[in-house]
Amino acid sequence: MHKTLIALATTVLVCGQVCAKAPRLPKDLPSYAPDKPLPVPQIEQKTLGNGLIVWAIPRQGLPRVDYVLAFRGAGLAADPKDRPGFASILAGLLSEGTEKHDSKSIAEIAQGHGGGIGASAGNDGLTLYANALASHAEPMLDLLAEVTRTPVFPEKEVALTRANALQGLKAAEAQPGFRAERAILAAIYGDHPYARTQATEESINAFTREELQRAHAQRLRPDQALLVVTGRIEADAAFALAEKAFGDWEVEDTGPEVIAASRDRAKPSLVHLERAGSVQSALRIGRPAVAAAHEDAIPLRLVTTILGGGFSSRLMQNLREDKGYTYGASVGYRSQSVGGALVAGADVRNEVTGAAIGEFMAEFKRIGTQTVPAAELEMHKRFVAGGYLIGNQLQASVAGTLAGNWLVGLPPEYLGEYVPKVRAVSAEQILQMGRKYYAVDQWSIVVVGDAAVAGQLRQYGKFETVK
Amino acid sequence: MPRIPAIALLSLALGNTLPALAGDVDRWELPIAVKTLDNGLTVVVSEDRSAPVVGVSVVYKVGMRLEPKDRTGFAHLFEHLMFEGTPNAPEGSFDKVITGGGGRNNGSTRPDYTNYIEVAPVSALEPILWLEADRMTTLDFNEKTLKNQQDVVKEEIRVNVKNQPYGGFMWIDIGQQAFQKWENNHDGYGSFVDLENASLDDVRAFHRDYYGPNNAVLGIAGDIGAEEAFRLAEKYFGKIKRRETPPRPDVSEPLNTEEKRITQADDLAQVPAVAVAWKIADRGSPDQAPIAVLAEVLAGGDASRMYQGLVKGKEMSLNIDHLFGLTGPFEYNGPTLLTLFALYKPNVTSDALIAEMDAQIARVVADGVSDAELGRVKTAMLSDWNNSMESLLSRADTLAIFQALWDDAQVANQVPGWIEAVTSDDLKRVAAKYLTAANRTVIDRKPKAMLATEAAAKQEG
Repeated sequence: MHKTLIALATTVLVCGQVCAKAPRLPKDLPSYAPDKPLPVPQIEQKTLGNGLIVWAIPRQGLPRVDYVLAFRGAGLAADPKDRPGFASILAGLLSEGTEKHDSKSIAEIAQGHGGGIGASAGNDGLTLYANALASHAEPMLDLLAEVTRTPVFPEKEVALTRANALQGLKAAEAQPGFRAERAILAAIYGDHPYARTQATEESINAFTREELQRAHAQRLRPDQALLVVTGRIEADAAFALAEKAFGDWEVEDTGPEVIAASRDRAKPSLVHLERAGSVQSALRIGRPAVAAAHEDAIPLRLVTTILGGGFSSRLMQNLREDKGYTYGASVGYRSQSVGGALVAGADVRNEVTGAAIGEFMAEFKRIGTQTVPAAELEMHKRFVAGGYLIGNQLQASVAGTLAGNWLVGLPPEYLGEYVPKVRAVSAEQILQMGRKYYAVDQWSIVVVGDAAVAGQLRQYGKFETVK
Repeated sequence: MPRIPAIALLSLALGNTLPALAGDVDRWELPIAVKTLDNGLTVVVSEDRSAPVVGVSVVYKVGMRLEPKDRTGFAHLFEHLMFEGTPNAPEGSFDKVITGGGGRNNGSTRPDYTNYIEVAPVSALEPILWLEADRMTTLDFNEKTLKNQQDVVKEEIRVNVKNQPYGGFMWIDIGQQAFQKWENNHDGYGSFVDLENASLDDVRAFHRDYYGPNNAVLGIAGDIGAEEAFRLAEKYFGKIKRRETPPRPDVSEPLNTEEKRITQADDLAQVPAVAVAWKIADRGSPDQAPIAVLAEVLAGGDASRMYQGLVKGKEMSLNIDHLFGLTGPFEYNGPTLLTLFALYKPNVTSDALIAEMDAQIARVVADGVSDAELGRVKTAMLSDWNNSMESLLSRADTLAIFQALWDDAQVANQVPGWIEAVTSDDLKRVAAKYLTAANRTVIDRKPKAMLATEAAAKQEG
């Protein structure tokens, strides 16, 4: 097994039992220079009379303004059980016609502002995005407000969306990853709405224009909304534009329902989705975890990074660089508002399907039983800090991250405090998180692959086979 | 109220039906400094102090076109081996130094270049330059890592091609059908046989011939001044010796004179798709910018003519996308295709879809494009150009690529002007010259079951 070890100028090397296999460091390699102070986004905040929150982060970068408008509780988790994927359809139809403009005009106006406008649904919210050349900041926000407040869901556009969604679903079903994702979400979340994020043929056929209108009124409301503005615009100007575009928007109807927490443990399920002629097995290995605001969230994210969050992570080094089983192996912590999940994955050639699952389990076990070497821990903390800096350089990324954090219940200062909190995590906490969340008997396993790989799966238990 | 430039107020006052021209305030001139070291390595620097971050790109002027003839996929396999260690930096240390520096890295292989890119806190810049110089000097030619990466590349091809519906036919197969010369029409991902036959001797020869400093460009963008960057480049790369590069073969091809249409059966796909491709102008041709604008007019997003005509309007396809080979409209240096790609509906034939595309093209040829529409498209393209330069990683990379392909990184500041200068007559001219049936290659990619049903129906009929 590969070991990860690096001499950092600021770190004392600690040699674990696997030290002998660690790569020798180049002897002439120059040291890292001292780190510069972490820039923290300065967020100017204002709440409009109708409850809409506005955060402005002026920047002197490229001549562009970015808007992100997020609605809490308006996402996929709010969809009725028999309407999975409905929020995505709602999001897509917002810019397909308003009281003032048809779909084509909206696209042309956005193009003329040197920008784009769009919307998407996540588990915990529905988010609209727009950006424009700096000189077009005002009309672009007006357009964003128009599609947010006055969509009319024209019959013709609804029909076209339905027809294209059915074809799109058919195309997606041919991808192994799409089927694997649906199955692993079901295994992790059971009956919770977080399990139902992909549309089905039934839900696409069933939704109505009236449901869209009703959902729009219930879910897109100023008192459940955050507008983030970044770019070449002063905060006062951003607040004034927001007041003009949204200030007279009144709360109607009742707000979205509160969604119950998803489970933190699940009885593991083992599923083999057969795919004739598949030359690889798509592996997805998952379990429930905790919500974004949980006290374990930060150390859990760090342990997950060490295990499978980048090129130097253990899974990548083991399954790709040592074994050559896959182009990429990873694990991610998906943190949501009322729950979370750990999902690992790799696509591997048929003949190593069983062996690859074994390597995932071996790495899960190791992270919960052996203390992470200090140098490896430090390397990944620096990797996380670097990721923050790199993201912070891009203004749309800052806006998107702030809105995403808000949707899952994290405060604005979370972004700036994130790296210091990650730095404070100890090796003992990593071990504890490894033991708590990576115990090997907690994992559901989904394999999308040829029937012939079934024999390699038996060693991990009895798989339910889906033809 | 905010300070809003006059041009925007004007467009507001007059409504949105007028062409919304981008103001000067929206032009973004990048600082670009260029210096060539004595060993031939060209260094391009764009200073930007907005964040303590730096992007680095090392671009080598070799890609799939120049790989050995019985070694399809070798340029890409070689790219993987560049991460697998040197005599000074053992396997595994490259990635760990960059990860520990807080950075991200990657590489990619294209027809005309191969790039190695990093973005990191500026504190990691010197170790990154050291690593890049080290692997430019020599590699650890090692059987074990060669075997490992042969396996990894095969898994990459499985996950992106063999196990996916459509199998990347719109960027792999289409070039194989459209071009005549081997350099342009072989599979750059490679056959498994050729990949397995690659030897350490091949790796040594390719590194020696194509990876010398005189065949490379180093791009740096971010929190560093040009003079300091030049000094560091000299410090780490200056001692690498120049190496002779083989003469470049003539890879040029004329436009095609006869349409080619083929049908492919797809074992995995459930929805039919089509790729329609035309050979386009050489790099540096006055037609290049008009072709870029034409592609946007026809298929650049929701406001484009084919989106409005085919996805909306006639409701024939699920999408319409355009590709410039494996790169962008200004980032090639040999025969390249403009390809349109669409998934289409089962009640539509590819012939009908292509006839509709032809009708849209014919409209441009006959009537050109109105000032309003052209203005909007140019504004969107200027904005996209700015956006592509925001990331320090892509800025360093784009500048290095332009230096490598055009011998002039300043092209990055000229492209917006080239786009702005395109006229309706230019669009008519290039649509008529390039987007013809004779110059066209089409692949109709159908689900296997659909083809079988059609064949049975034909027999009965």
